[in-house]
Amino acid sequence: MNKDLLKALVKRVASSVLTLILLISFLFVLVRLSPGNPTQKFLSADFSPELAQRVTSSFKLDQPIAEQYFNFIVNAVTGDFGISYNYRLPVFTVVWQFLSFTLFFSFLSFFIQLFLSYGLALKAIKKTNGRLDKFLSGSSLVIYATPSFVLGVFLIFIFSAKLDLFPSAGLKSLDFDSFSLPGQIWDYFIHLILPMITLSFAGIAMFYKYLRDNLEEVYRQNFVLNLRASGFKEKTILKKHILPNAARPLISVAGIELGILLGGTLITEVIFGLPGMGRLMMDSIFSRDYPLVVGCAFTAGLLMIITNFIADLLKMKIDKRMIKGLMN
Amino acid sequence: MKIRIKHILILFWLLILIFRAEVLLNFVVLSAKYFLLFFTNFSEAFQFLDLSLIDPIVSISLFVLIPLVLIFFKKKLNFVKAEINFPVIVLLILFLAFFFTPIITNENPDFQKDLKVTKLLSPFSSVKVIHLKSEERGNNSLGESFRQYKDKIVKPSFDESLIFADEINVTRDQVIYEQKGLIKNIEISKVETEDGEPVIDEKTFFLGTDEFGRDIFTRIIYGARISLLVGTGSVFVSLIIGLAIGFVSGFRGGIIDVIFSRITDLFLAFPVIYLIILILAMFGNSLLSVIFVLGFSGWMSLFKIVKSEVISAKNKDYIVSAGLLGLTKFDILTKEILPVIIVPVLVNIIFQFSNVILAESALSYLGLGSGSSYPSWGTMIESGQQYITKAWWMIFFPGLILILTIFSVNDLGKRLNKLFNPAVR
Repeated sequence: MNKDLLKALVKRVASSVLTLILLISFLFVLVRLSPGNPTQKFLSADFSPELAQRVTSSFKLDQPIAEQYFNFIVNAVTGDFGISYNYRLPVFTVVWQFLSFTLFFSFLSFFIQLFLSYGLALKAIKKTNGRLDKFLSGSSLVIYATPSFVLGVFLIFIFSAKLDLFPSAGLKSLDFDSFSLPGQIWDYFIHLILPMITLSFAGIAMFYKYLRDNLEEVYRQNFVLNLRASGFKEKTILKKHILPNAARPLISVAGIELGILLGGTLITEVIFGLPGMGRLMMDSIFSRDYPLVVGCAFTAGLLMIITNFIADLLKMKIDKRMIKGLMN
Repeated sequence: MKIRIKHILILFWLLILIFRAEVLLNFVVLSAKYFLLFFTNFSEAFQFLDLSLIDPIVSISLFVLIPLVLIFFKKKLNFVKAEINFPVIVLLILFLAFFFTPIITNENPDFQKDLKVTKLLSPFSSVKVIHLKSEERGNNSLGESFRQYKDKIVKPSFDESLIFADEINVTRDQVIYEQKGLIKNIEISKVETEDGEPVIDEKTFFLGTDEFGRDIFTRIIYGARISLLVGTGSVFVSLIIGLAIGFVSGFRGGIIDVIFSRITDLFLAFPVIYLIILILAMFGNSLLSVIFVLGFSGWMSLFKIVKSEVISAKNKDYIVSAGLLGLTKFDILTKEILPVIIVPVLVNIIFQFSNVILAESALSYLGLGSGSSYPSWGTMIESGQQYITKAWWMIFFPGLILILTIFSVNDLGKRLNKLFNPAVR
């Protein structure tokens, strides 16, 4: 068994690395195919041919394409995506500054989604096709159809423009530094409520639907009838037998949901003007800061590969059958 | 009473006939004039033909065709008797808006005039309009009058001969009009008159106007066009990519399959919106590039479906015998395999369609959509966000339409899925 586990792990790592290399190659192809090249920003028609040649070779653009590709892979793996035009700092440093917020924001939202949808699904499944169940199923369909930016703008309109309860943009108030520590935390909190709702709603609806349907399906199975007939309490059946069975497929959905979340944070950050990686990417697109754009895209892809890897590890830990599944 | 497709069609037809009779009449006059012009002055007639006329011609001829088809092909068109529910009604209206855009609104989506009077008007507010006399009235040639009628059908984005005002008073020889507190006057001889009285129209904006005084209703209708166009276009692109790659890698297997599966995993692993934004940022955004990029980023699930279906079908007797009979690979795909997989593919395509509409509006919201030359729901919401305290209608109506659209498409997909796989709840 242990050998199998090791084999599956090695295979999973290899597949992740392969995906990473494919990702880098894909970025390289995009960068090379896109019109123009980085020297244009530094070349001028007044330059002598030798100087122009020197500029080109300083970017290593006169080397054969295979060598450029190799250089690109080496640079990408070492995290060197060049210097950002706007920030005059290495891309890695800039992305790192903005990444922490995005990570914090999306993971917090992820846990809120899991927690809330779990609670709601448990409440709803108590009385299948009851009033709460029907209401939640209906509203989850509508919420699922609501684009996050529409929801965000509507929330801003209701809670910021009309009721004036929450701020409409930014992460901290202007006089943030004058607050005491609890005041500062409160300030962050109040700024993050609307973005958090915007980001989490669709995910809650999705997880809820998935969990509820899984729970219902497990409830219908014969072993539940058997347990009931054997005189187990409903609570024990739910906790010991139904929940583990219903939650297992959720992990693979959760991996995909994290990817959607990263996209969702991009839009949410733009709506609410939050200092995250998504907004950094949009800003750098509009200011034509291409090294930063590529760096952000690479980071997003890398995050997805890592989270998928972790989700698969979790699956292996929970369900031994998955090891066999991964082997094939 | 159950609502059927034909009820919606007839209702739509009657509404257009009542509210847009003027457009239809103008069109009849225009075609008569063109007919005359064609026989009197061929070269001039040829000059007036341009692409802007195609749109109204197509929609008006379709409009004429609706009752004819409904009456004459009653027996064959069984689908018009189908009972429909709310989501399908929404979709039907959207498709009608797609084909009949110029007669539903009869206004240029970019029409703007007199910002101080028309900007940020609330829904159902109206302004008064006076028409200035056009100066080349003396020139009464056929070509000139043809041009005037053409301007009534294909509305220009700017019209100098219109004056918008809040309040208009007519004295003996002057028209006094008020524009947001400014009182101006104009001699009655310069204004278009009817029996000595100046013509004063009232223009109502059902859904209000935006910050440039453009009619939001018109822009929503034109936005439906863009959404559906991008939706169908990119779904078509992903369909072709998914079918081709899925078929090849399912049929051949081996190294090709491995490579394509890896690439699919990569695309699935990548947060799609980052990918789309990256490509659009590097190659520029236009309507075509948005269609292609969205199509290019949505083929993964189709690929998986097609591949697994092909693998399960390729060793079945009828496929093998079809190959032995000498059918080419392409024939096998289109004649033997496609009919089998059409159901899951169709369901997938419908969900893909709603995803694409959502993605297009999100891209437009981010400023990377099809550009400012076409009104899009996402762009409207984006510009509405700046006026959120003053004009709720700028975000509310496009947002509502967007939610309704996506909800309806999703619902349709779910119903189809249920119809074809009853096991799925």
